[in-house]
Amino acid sequence: MSFFYSILFFLWFFISHAHATSDYYERLLLRPLPQSALLASFNFRSNASSTSFDRQHFRYFPRSLGQILQHAHTKELHLRFSLGRWDDENWGTRPWNGTREGGTGVELWAWVEAETNEEANSRWLTLTNALSGLFCASLNFIDSTKTIRPAMTFEHEGKYTVKSEKNLHLLHGTLPHEVVCTENLTPFLKLLPCKGKAGISSLLDGHKLFDATWQTMAIDVRPVCKQDSLDCVLEMEQTVDMVLDIERSARPRDNPIPRPPPLEDVECDTSKPYNAEDTCFPIVKDSEPAWSVTGVFGRPIKGACPLAENYHSQSSGMICINVPPEREVIPSSELKYEERSHNGGFLRCYEPSAGADFDLTLPEQQLSIKAPIEQPRMYASRSFTGNGQERGGVRAVITNNSPESVSLSYLESLPWFMKLYLHTLRTTVKPFTLSTSTEEDAHSDLIREVYYRPAVDRHRGTHLELLLNIPPLSSLTLTYDFEKAILRYTEYPPDANRGFDVAPAVIRMLSSSNSSLHGGSTYLRTTSLLLPLPTPDFSMPYNVIILTSTVMALGFGSIFNLLVRRFVAADEVPALDSNELRSKVLGQIERLKRSFRGKGAVGKED
Amino acid sequence: MSLVARLLALRNDPRAQKAPPFLSALCVIVGVVWLLILPLNEYSRQTYVSENALLPGQVHTYFGGSEHNIFRAYRQEVAALGDKTDEERTEKLAEFFKTCGLRVARQTYRYTAAGKNITGQNVYAVLQGPRADATEAVVLIGAWRNMDHVLNQSGVALVLTMARYFKRWSLWSKDIIFLIAGDSTAGPQAWVDAYHDAHSPTTVESLTLKSGALQGAVAVDYPAGTWGHRFDKLHIIYDGINGQLSNLDLFNTAVSIASGQMGIGCTLQRMWKHDDTYQERLETMLRGMLSQGLGHASGPHSSFIPYHVDAITLQTIGDGWQDEMSLGRTVESMFRSLNNLLEHLHQSFFFYLLMQANRFVSIGTYLPSAMLVAVNFTITSIALWVQSGRPKQSTKVGIPEPKEKKGVKEDLTVLKQDGMVALVPTETLEVTERQLFLPLTFVCAVHFLGLIPLYVFNNTFESSLTSTFTVSTTITLILPPLSSLFFTTLRTPTRQDVTLLSCFSLLLLGMFLSALATLNFSLAFLVGLATAPLSFVHLCIPMSTNGTSPPSSNRLIPRIVCVAVVFLLAALSPLTLTFAVAWATEVHVTEVLTAASVGWHVHGLWTQVVVWLLWWPAWFIGSVVAWLGATGSLQD
Repeated sequence: MSFFYSILFFLWFFISHAHATSDYYERLLLRPLPQSALLASFNFRSNASSTSFDRQHFRYFPRSLGQILQHAHTKELHLRFSLGRWDDENWGTRPWNGTREGGTGVELWAWVEAETNEEANSRWLTLTNALSGLFCASLNFIDSTKTIRPAMTFEHEGKYTVKSEKNLHLLHGTLPHEVVCTENLTPFLKLLPCKGKAGISSLLDGHKLFDATWQTMAIDVRPVCKQDSLDCVLEMEQTVDMVLDIERSARPRDNPIPRPPPLEDVECDTSKPYNAEDTCFPIVKDSEPAWSVTGVFGRPIKGACPLAENYHSQSSGMICINVPPEREVIPSSELKYEERSHNGGFLRCYEPSAGADFDLTLPEQQLSIKAPIEQPRMYASRSFTGNGQERGGVRAVITNNSPESVSLSYLESLPWFMKLYLHTLRTTVKPFTLSTSTEEDAHSDLIREVYYRPAVDRHRGTHLELLLNIPPLSSLTLTYDFEKAILRYTEYPPDANRGFDVAPAVIRMLSSSNSSLHGGSTYLRTTSLLLPLPTPDFSMPYNVIILTSTVMALGFGSIFNLLVRRFVAADEVPALDSNELRSKVLGQIERLKRSFRGKGAVGKED
Repeated sequence: MSLVARLLALRNDPRAQKAPPFLSALCVIVGVVWLLILPLNEYSRQTYVSENALLPGQVHTYFGGSEHNIFRAYRQEVAALGDKTDEERTEKLAEFFKTCGLRVARQTYRYTAAGKNITGQNVYAVLQGPRADATEAVVLIGAWRNMDHVLNQSGVALVLTMARYFKRWSLWSKDIIFLIAGDSTAGPQAWVDAYHDAHSPTTVESLTLKSGALQGAVAVDYPAGTWGHRFDKLHIIYDGINGQLSNLDLFNTAVSIASGQMGIGCTLQRMWKHDDTYQERLETMLRGMLSQGLGHASGPHSSFIPYHVDAITLQTIGDGWQDEMSLGRTVESMFRSLNNLLEHLHQSFFFYLLMQANRFVSIGTYLPSAMLVAVNFTITSIALWVQSGRPKQSTKVGIPEPKEKKGVKEDLTVLKQDGMVALVPTETLEVTERQLFLPLTFVCAVHFLGLIPLYVFNNTFESSLTSTFTVSTTITLILPPLSSLFFTTLRTPTRQDVTLLSCFSLLLLGMFLSALATLNFSLAFLVGLATAPLSFVHLCIPMSTNGTSPPSSNRLIPRIVCVAVVFLLAALSPLTLTFAVAWATEVHVTEVLTAASVGWHVHGLWTQVVVWLLWWPAWFIGSVVAWLGATGSLQD
């Protein structure tokens, strides 16, 4: 169908061809994108046969994760850590058709084997808590309010027998507010056989990964069987996709501040009439920028991972770069490497040897043919409408860019304090061809199916899943209103005035012509939203406490005073005359004397 | 028990019955004096930054060097676009943004107000912060034309240069939106309405590109031409639509960065010279109150504030030695501060009066002033209610008569309650029935009558606004005597009618003003001050008569007083006052009315509602009462 798909398909072919023979391999695809961006797509796969897995005999499959899966009876696991946004307009289709990415923050879904729903829930709880420890992420905060059981959006990738499939429960949870950072990368690398010391994983450096414009780390565990379902392996796929800004990443670490460049380095448009020594209209370079793997990632590839099977196999290279054939790519020359070219030269793959650093350098070059960008078939955006503390609305716009109608499922997992009014759910569709002044026509047949599970305060969130149809070349607008609940003041997080994150909506394109890839579905996620809730003035409780304490102290003090004081009428008190005073003073002195004498006696006895 | 009885007995104390007018007057005087002492050091406070995350001026700014050359080039480009059409202009600006690698969208708006079309096109670009997740955004605004309709040449060029410069940083944790609005008032309003989907699609185009929740907005107004202009100070404009203010922290950040880090002086409320004396502080505060009271859009930032997006405008003024780079560095530092924010600005004050760039009074200190003015109406209205229920022949009020002199037994009634017996003068048990229907109907009718001028003024073409104003002023001044005439022909109004009329009108006025004072202090105070004489209008009508008709000379003096009051009120009518203020500030009254109409249709301005449905009816009823007193045609 298209150029990019063919590359993916090409890679997929080798990967699927490879998994039967090898137990671990890794691959890196580098793809320069417009506006000096660079997509780096890392893929690591390790297999364990189901028999060795059951006997806890691990080789490439990480033991730490394997034991968790066994303990939680999890058959299939998908975990995502994501940050940033993919720019559909400029960068084209998403890598892996969106199947290997998640919404902002952390997203986890898994098929858990259990007899009953309650058992599934408790195993899910075990799983999230164990993974939380393994990945240093707040996965343990995925409680019942953040867990849903999607009905249409997710399908398992692994193969199961009919009997075992009956007992599988799909559970899904997201943490949109979780900030993905280095502490999640380190355990991720630890799961790899080469642990980031050799192979392409040596490029994964937290400084560069989290400076990316868009990045997603994925872990997928699934059982893969051959035609005869006896020979099964448990496959773990670790994927890291990131889009780096070449200019920003190539900045040296000791001088990361983007100071204005010296005047000599700025290229001026001399054709402008006002161009002068002090006036300079910057020219945007049309040529491809120069970059190298070392410059962009901060370090070279530390040779091949000796454990990777494709190191020995002849099938494909380990590092592939997707550039037009005329683009000059200079591998670090002093080393032995193998270069192969596929797909009309648009894809060049390299096979570095183990134990020696490997680098690729691309000089600045003017190209006549640019690598084509495949326009995505669908865009989606979602935003809040309205303002105020009481009500709000959500407006999602899904655009079908393809000449055929598309059916898709739309999944929303909303927090309980965002109370959805389902009767306000409206869809309108607007074809591109009509001018903007034309009325948008509302269609009732756009929604084919609705799966809705209303929220229960403080126990579970809203689960809304829609099956939608979008006519060709048109955009569908989905709107609904909601009410904001008032929380108890202890339920607010420490940064209460920031607002509450609402998880991204997951969109899955169902009917697709190129169904040979990844089960035929394409995934798309909107950005997360920030929901401002009515927030109390948190100094108020303290004011109240202080005020009540004062009132109580006053009340208690006066009552206590009344209770313990003896009230005597003034005339009842004997008048104080000089005689009495004298006798009193004398009495005191006498008592003192006596006590002294007493003490003295005791001292003598000692 | 005895205390309650004593308090109740106070009702009949002649001194207590005479007190309300004095109490009202005292409230007004104390309210005004309260406001006047606010600029003193003892009553105002030094400003401070409450939000710790802002850390204003704690970062190095790097905007400079070759960016200056690029800025000059952009300024030339902007100058070349000066006479192009909206489409050509926004297309070129969009291209500039696109070459910086930003996502760009455009928006057209077409408002109709006061019979004229306000059209334009906004262009904006979104810088997706590398550390951001599309949930939060801050806005940098450069309106194409500033409030004086001068091309904002250097301001727009600065926005373009900043967009290019900011793109290189990787530390942005919020998206940055660069908005070049078609003009300074309608453009930003159209954009921010559409951003929150609160627009009407017929006038304003929806936005195709959006980011997260807006956390703050900074507008730059720097109309220097192609060869630049070195400015002296920054004029910070902070008031929004309907007198809403941006968070004081944002203002403080701007002041602290400009004066502390960059060494640029800051000023506010068009006080170009401010030596921090009492008079200048007071003047700044009063100018701020006038601007807040009018509630109009004072800059591109104003439209953002009703959406709880804190916004300010930085305007360059004067001749000095500050250049565009220092303004750029101020903006850079401000955005670095806003980028630090973890939460929405909430720590500092939203209700304040500023009297100097770093002196303010907060709501707790200034609110009593407007409240006291509002309370004066309530006191009078309660007093009038009590008075209206008093028996007509209660001649003894104020004239204690010795009982034995009369030699007649007073009528006494025996009261039995709870096993106790008491002898009470029958007179005190008499109840006067209040005839409520006529006064209530009249008060309601007048308040609804206010809808007519409200509608007319908001739907009249600009060309006929002056004549409409003249006609409405004439009608407004003629209507009270006509109504009083109508009253007397319908049925000779009683004193009680007049008392109740004043009572209800003042009750409503006091109630509304005290509520308004918590929302828009300045407007409540100004309206309260302009209507304060209404509390005393009823005094010109002699309320205590002896049943026997007094000599005509006794009636003449109050009538003369009432005539004087009528003229005073004519001078204080909302329309005459508007005219007088416009004349004094050398603004044509049509401009005021056009601005009000535009404000109503574009910005959702509520000031007219207060004028026509609160101030005007209260004034109207006061005038009718004065006219009734002046004609002297009241029956007991």
